Amino acid sequence: MFMGLAAEKYDRQYSDRQLLRRMATYFAPYRGRLIRLTLIILAITAIGLVSPLLIARGIDLVGAQPSVGAIVALCVGLLALSVINWACNLMRRRMTARLIADVIGQMRNDAFRATIHHDMAFFDEFQSGKVIARITNDTQELSQVTVLISDLISQFTILIVLVGVLFTISWPLTLALLVMAPVVVFFGWAFRRVARMVTRSGFRVIAEVNSAIQEAVAGIRVAKTFRQEQAIYDRFRQINRRSYEVNLRRGFVLSNVFPTLNAMAGLGTAVMTYVGGLAAIGGTVSVGAWYLFIISLEQFWFPMTNIASFWSQIQGGLSACERIFALIDAESSVKQIEDPRSKVQKGDAQSSTPNLRLRGEIEFRSVSFRYNEQQQVLRDFSLRIAPGESVALVGHTGAGKSSIIKLITRFYEFQGGQILIDGRDIRTFDLVEYRRQLGLVSQSPFLFNDTVMNNIRYARPDLSDDMVEAVARRIGDGEWVAALPNGLLTQVGERGQHLSMGQRQLVALARVLAQRPPIFILDEATASVDPFTEKQIQAALNLILADSTSILIAHRLSTVKSVDRIIVLDRGRIIEEGDHATLMARGGHYASLYDTYFRHQSADFNAEMYQKLKA
Amino acid sequence: MTSEFSVEREWHSDRRSPARWIFSHIWRYKVYILGILIGALGNAGGAAVMPLLVGQAFNAVVAQPPDGAALGLIAVLIVLSQIARAILQLGRNFSSEIIGQRIERDARDELYTSLIGKSMSFHDRQSIGDIMARATNDVREVNLLMNPGVNLVVGSAAFLLFPLIIGPRIHPQLIAVPLFYVAAYAVAVAYYLRKLAPATERVRRAFGRMNATLAESIEGIETVKGAAQEGREIARFRGAVDAWRAAAVGQGDVESLYLPSLILGVTMALGLLHSLLLYHAGAINVGDVVAYNGVLMFLQFPTFATQFAYPQVSSGLASARRILELMNAETLLDENKGGYAGEMRGDVTFEHVTFSYGQGERPALQDVTISVKAGQTVAIVGQTGAGKSTLTKMINRIYDVDAGRVCVDGVDVRAWDLDALRRQISTIEQDVFLFSRTIAENIKFGRPDATQAEIEQAAKAAQAHEFILSFKDGYNTIVGERGVTLSGGQRQRIAIARAFLADPRILILDDSTSAIDSATEDLIQQAMFRVAQGRTTFLITHRLSQIRWADLIVVLKQGRVVACGSHDELMRTSKDYRAIFAGDEERPKKTAAQPVVSRANGQVS
Repeated sequence: MFMGLAAEKYDRQYSDRQLLRRMATYFAPYRGRLIRLTLIILAITAIGLVSPLLIARGIDLVGAQPSVGAIVALCVGLLALSVINWACNLMRRRMTARLIADVIGQMRNDAFRATIHHDMAFFDEFQSGKVIARITNDTQELSQVTVLISDLISQFTILIVLVGVLFTISWPLTLALLVMAPVVVFFGWAFRRVARMVTRSGFRVIAEVNSAIQEAVAGIRVAKTFRQEQAIYDRFRQINRRSYEVNLRRGFVLSNVFPTLNAMAGLGTAVMTYVGGLAAIGGTVSVGAWYLFIISLEQFWFPMTNIASFWSQIQGGLSACERIFALIDAESSVKQIEDPRSKVQKGDAQSSTPNLRLRGEIEFRSVSFRYNEQQQVLRDFSLRIAPGESVALVGHTGAGKSSIIKLITRFYEFQGGQILIDGRDIRTFDLVEYRRQLGLVSQSPFLFNDTVMNNIRYARPDLSDDMVEAVARRIGDGEWVAALPNGLLTQVGERGQHLSMGQRQLVALARVLAQRPPIFILDEATASVDPFTEKQIQAALNLILADSTSILIAHRLSTVKSVDRIIVLDRGRIIEEGDHATLMARGGHYASLYDTYFRHQSADFNAEMYQKLKA
Repeated sequence: MTSEFSVEREWHSDRRSPARWIFSHIWRYKVYILGILIGALGNAGGAAVMPLLVGQAFNAVVAQPPDGAALGLIAVLIVLSQIARAILQLGRNFSSEIIGQRIERDARDELYTSLIGKSMSFHDRQSIGDIMARATNDVREVNLLMNPGVNLVVGSAAFLLFPLIIGPRIHPQLIAVPLFYVAAYAVAVAYYLRKLAPATERVRRAFGRMNATLAESIEGIETVKGAAQEGREIARFRGAVDAWRAAAVGQGDVESLYLPSLILGVTMALGLLHSLLLYHAGAINVGDVVAYNGVLMFLQFPTFATQFAYPQVSSGLASARRILELMNAETLLDENKGGYAGEMRGDVTFEHVTFSYGQGERPALQDVTISVKAGQTVAIVGQTGAGKSTLTKMINRIYDVDAGRVCVDGVDVRAWDLDALRRQISTIEQDVFLFSRTIAENIKFGRPDATQAEIEQAAKAAQAHEFILSFKDGYNTIVGERGVTLSGGQRQRIAIARAFLADPRILILDDSTSAIDSATEDLIQQAMFRVAQGRTTFLITHRLSQIRWADLIVVLKQGRVVACGSHDELMRTSKDYRAIFAGDEERPKKTAAQPVVSRANGQVS
């Protein structure tokens, strides 16, 4: 719930003026509606003021022995006013709902469009949950701001007009009323502060309690396996008890608000009754005017406390806007430059130029790259990969394997040197066009909550069902498709969770097969899959390797054995190159890496282990 | 209803319907209910006294001669009455707060107890996210139903009451307008709520869909960018935003047509007319007119509170329904208390077992027959969806067979006492769950009385001792969400240590974690081998060496046993099986299309 509250590195300070001005740009297209809305609000306010005047007039009439006609006319007037008031309120709500929905919708679209174009460095650094919370929840806060501001307008109008009218009736009574105002204002303000404090600390504890409850729920299965139900229940009770105590304390504090305000208002009314009554006896004011004062009190206190707390309430909304604008404004570190040789259209996905087809030659020329000041990953790094060649990157964690991939995909900006694709500077491509040429499978392949079929053609929406099926059948005679509960029409579930890890990898590889990209990039999964699925993954991989220039971060023995060239990396440098057999024979760095990371996947290890355990 | 766990309580709730359930909870706190009623009446009464007193003041002022002393007295009475009112209102708020919080506490307790009592098959089907939502949000909603929901409903109902009581006291005829209001109000509110519920639900669903669309694009951003599909995602999101906008506007339209406020306006005008006419006829005095119209103003409170309180009540009822759904879900298995409860040896036989998860679904197991002797290790291999886990779930009766039977020690598992059966069977699941407690506590979870020496012995046998000592706090290291994060291999070894301590006769080991390096792999394999010794072990495994040393290997394909036997037998007889071992390691290179046969085969040291 408070996910979005934590500050992120891309957050920046905007002045209130900047914020308000920028928010205004969202309302600007609806200028006409805003004016109409303001007029309606003013009308409602005016009616709110006139009604008590009318009733007071009725009371005054009482002294003057009115005719029945006058009484009826008065009441019909009152009735007409309240019907108009209701109609105005109806229009106000309808217009506000539309205005808010339009503005929030626009803001969400803007925020999403900006976010999706941020570079991958942004998404690697910032938790997706928090980004999502900004786009959905923080924008929602805007509705609160809108309501608050429109309330403020009407309440200010009420107060000013009310005080003005009261002054013309009787300035001493008005002064007496105004003397009491600061006390109410102070209480309204103080209560908001206390309420905010207990609410904040309450939410923190509740978040803790919720995560404890989560554990208690998730732990039931284990508890059942070991017949420890009573123990886990006792623990749950403690947590639940704590939750109860915290919530009760918070509830008690908040319970005080209305009783206190009522007592204050009662006090004010008592004073006005007495002071006003004496004035009426003394003849300073008319009896009707005095009565008007007393029923005006309620109209007076409420906007008073609201205005007092306006600034603290709107702060939440403003800082929500600040978070959204910061998200929109976050700067991209990946910058494309104009290609002097061609006039490729920059921009949207719609402007496709299908004539671009790369051969798949990749060259790093003295590239230097770092994530931040402290962490230099690549320094003076050079590497050439021929079209159609397959290359496996191996090395310990932090050797720079994934950095190389991130630079080729242009997800990150490098600081020095050059990267050439087919001899052309990577910075001069239209990014969308360029990435169409890449087939990418990440360590935990992401699937969309859709059918297997639609996931396979994600990068090629134009493929027919038959074509997708043909692609899927190319992998190991399509046995994996038969194993899916509903074939290619199987729903994969959120993030593909209805499929096993192995099946997800197969779908991701089939996606690349359908795409037939000139360049294939794979960050191999580390999780093992069952031996049958494993064989089919290999089959899929073989098909792709035969077609594309391939760069693989290899975790599986079979993968390193099947590539043309293994590149051994250490702290951003190439320390060995060659194919598996050559490097093993050499007995150098690769041989020792093999011992650490690959040996246990070999048949030798299996046999060895078998003997060891049997002994 | 059958349950595997229950606690002694002096109270019982009524689970026949959401309203009854909530009422049975509220009814336990009669003192506080009284507090709410007294507080609500006192609050409304205190408010109702005001116009009466103001009316009196009015009379004192217009009296000839004006009565200044009476005026002073009235002012003092106003202060006293309002303070009393504030105290009573506070009492009402406190009472409803206490009831609300206790309902939240008790409802969650009840839900949790019932969850513990559910069978494993129930927990297998239910997603933790869904249960969490009900245990936190829905339970909270039930609290909000009480406070502010019911609190405001009762509180504002008291305000409805006073015009009805005070009106006729001033003049019998003056009951007419308040009566009109109450009747019209009831009809209008019912209409409003009926319209509002579906509109709110639409907004909720549209918002959820928008959120899901967004989450998917952001979480899959690498895929989106890699496939250059940003434009499509933007359009998809815009569609979801548009749907939300339409729903939100729809809700706004329903809310704007709030008739009670129109009825209030009509009521006020009619009230003024009626009282002035009565005055004109000389039936009442000026003070009465003032007092009556003042009392009518109280109708404002129920008019506006309704807009807020009733939707809260109806969403609380919806939440209660969701909670009850979970609690009332029947579990199919019974405990079979008094069934066979002997010491288990560990012989397991499957006889023509067929099972499917639902009507009309493809059977997950078909005609499975296997026979395992006590102490044997069985490796179950096959593709995902072949039925490997399902097979093991038949043994400890997470599911019951549709046809055929499963026997342990020659006794049908359905004839076993469930507790005795499960106590002697342990499962190590694929995703090992650790509590956010110390490592020692996690290891001794199945045997809370284990000594430190026993814990360490189990950890050593599980190859976990060394990495545990590598942490600063050793066995007292807190793991999980609020502590050290352990790797998959480490979690697995802690689970194995758990199993050593629990010492079951039958062990089910679902193992698909893979070690990142060869040294760890060596340790894990040794740990697994050791824990399998001396008990019947079912291994769902990807590891070829484990498959090799198993006494019996069962190869499953789409729910059927396609091969069964020892490694050597299967290498001779099964093509499916041979395919795993042959040519697995060396994939044909683009240049060399020749499959290379593994050197391991036939190697003897």
